Amino acid sequence: MKQQAMLSAKAFEASDAPIKAFGEALLEAGKANPDIVAVSTDSSSGSGLSPFKAAFPERHVEFGIMEQGAVGYCAGMASVGKIPFYAAIAPFVSARPFEMVKDDLGYMRQNVKVVGRCGGFTYSQLGPTHHSIDDFALMRTIPGILVLNPGDPVSIRKATLALAKHIGPSYMRIGSPNMPVLYDEDLPFEIGKGILVREGHDVTIIGTGTVLCQAVKAAELLDRKGISARVIDIHTIKPLDEEMILKAASETNRIVTVEEHFINGGLGSAVAQFLSQTRPTPVKMIGIDDRFVSNGPYEGLLGQHGLLADQIVVSTTEFLKKKF
Amino acid sequence: MPLSKQEELELKFKALALRENVLRMVKAAGTGHMGGALSAADIVAVLYYKFMKLDPQNPDLADRDRFVLSAGHKCLILYAALAEKGYFPKEIMDSYGELDSHIPGHPSMDKLPGVEANTGSLGHGLSIAAGMAMGLKLSASSARVYTIMGDGELAEGSNWEAAAAASHHKLDNLTAIVDKNGLQIGGIADSIMNYEPLQDRWASFGWSVRRIDGHDYPTIVKTLESLPFEKGKPSLIIADTVKSKGFPFAEGKAAYHYWKATKEELQLADEALAAARAGLEKALAEVKAEGGL
Repeated sequence: MKQQAMLSAKAFEASDAPIKAFGEALLEAGKANPDIVAVSTDSSSGSGLSPFKAAFPERHVEFGIMEQGAVGYCAGMASVGKIPFYAAIAPFVSARPFEMVKDDLGYMRQNVKVVGRCGGFTYSQLGPTHHSIDDFALMRTIPGILVLNPGDPVSIRKATLALAKHIGPSYMRIGSPNMPVLYDEDLPFEIGKGILVREGHDVTIIGTGTVLCQAVKAAELLDRKGISARVIDIHTIKPLDEEMILKAASETNRIVTVEEHFINGGLGSAVAQFLSQTRPTPVKMIGIDDRFVSNGPYEGLLGQHGLLADQIVVSTTEFLKKKF
Repeated sequence: MPLSKQEELELKFKALALRENVLRMVKAAGTGHMGGALSAADIVAVLYYKFMKLDPQNPDLADRDRFVLSAGHKCLILYAALAEKGYFPKEIMDSYGELDSHIPGHPSMDKLPGVEANTGSLGHGLSIAAGMAMGLKLSASSARVYTIMGDGELAEGSNWEAAAAASHHKLDNLTAIVDKNGLQIGGIADSIMNYEPLQDRWASFGWSVRRIDGHDYPTIVKTLESLPFEKGKPSLIIADTVKSKGFPFAEGKAAYHYWKATKEELQLADEALAAARAGLEKALAEVKAEGGL
């Protein structure tokens, strides 16, 4: 059965704040399920929790700046039947309390949803302490955890609602600046199932999260140069949609991955790990090399790491010229 | 209610059974974290046999009290209690150290009913226990949560995060017990990292604190009966204990934190437990003679 490409006819016309999209969806989820609890470690408003907090003040728990302990508290609450959504700045809920996430959530299989906001280097000016470009690599090592990285406001909303229904430890990363709306509201969203954004047969660009929009724009630019690029949105880093990736590899023979994450251990790494053992396929990984990211305007940093659409076009064109 | 002589003896028989179970598991593997298991044995026996609302036939009972062994390496005493309560067949104790045993070197919820948290890495249990207490309060449950921590464990900073939040959120359904046996793997706990004055430290974090002899039954019972010590505050019991309590050859010696048992030591341990049993039986006979039964 031929899949339908999901890019909206109105893509890029509107944009919305990812944290707002998350917060509104959490409120909706909270109305449907009284066991959902919102957890913050300071900056609850910055984490999008204000609507939930206003509607359900007794179901919001504030801990102050104590991310390690908060993960344990979430595990305890989950073990007695609550469904904590714990949202805070991405590096402080992933790298910092990693062992708590591994042991208290992963090993204990607790139904806690950790949401890392301002993920990637969207906290651009604040420097490497506030960047989170290792979270996929870390989280991917935890058996049984779900890792989400939705790439537009519509899919963030849908991912949040899907998370509320999913049972098990989960990590979702969202960015900070406004993101272009790429999808229509009736987008079918399923955890673990990639989204065919755009059809194409010369190459497949797999994008995720904050830079999915750059991948889509790149495909449009490539089209003008006579290169037909398929775009896949892998919003679920783990478990990976192997079926969709294998199909893309078989039909386009070349894969480009685009992510706001270290090349080490991220989406590209997961895709290459899978393909090398099933259908060896050349993979070009666009992401952050083995160095810390600088500081400054977000777009400037994207440019320093080859993550802007026109740079993806150049990398992809070069990659397609290469003989393997 | 003051503890009757008879009830005290009954609890001591239970604690003895737990110590026998610990020895049974050490015999199976030849090794084990014995010292801290036995320092906590009396408190664990009182919790499981007098205070905690539990149903071994229905380990997932919604309103059960929760026990989190923050010092997960003391797992032998947890397994000993769960086996004695009937959570699992006692034969499982003989698999300690075996491949895929249901009783690993640190407790695992997946492997055994009655285990409430996967502990082992220190400094996790208090947060988890406090989260349970918080969730139970949110659900308007009257269940209580207990956790046993080691004194060496207190150097983990995450405990103090958990401690501050527990008082901030007024979790008076939470009781933490510091099994202060004074020794950790490297020697005397206070000389490795001094956390005294413990009472003041916990009190300054907003806990209601009592310091007791962790082997004195009337005191343990009286203390647990008065929970919460103060309404609106989490309760902290500093239990002064003796490492390896019950095995005189090993008492108060850091080397028995992780016991690699020799034949001679196992013999001494058997003798110690047999003597303890004889002593308890004699005491029971005396109580009976006095017309206490």
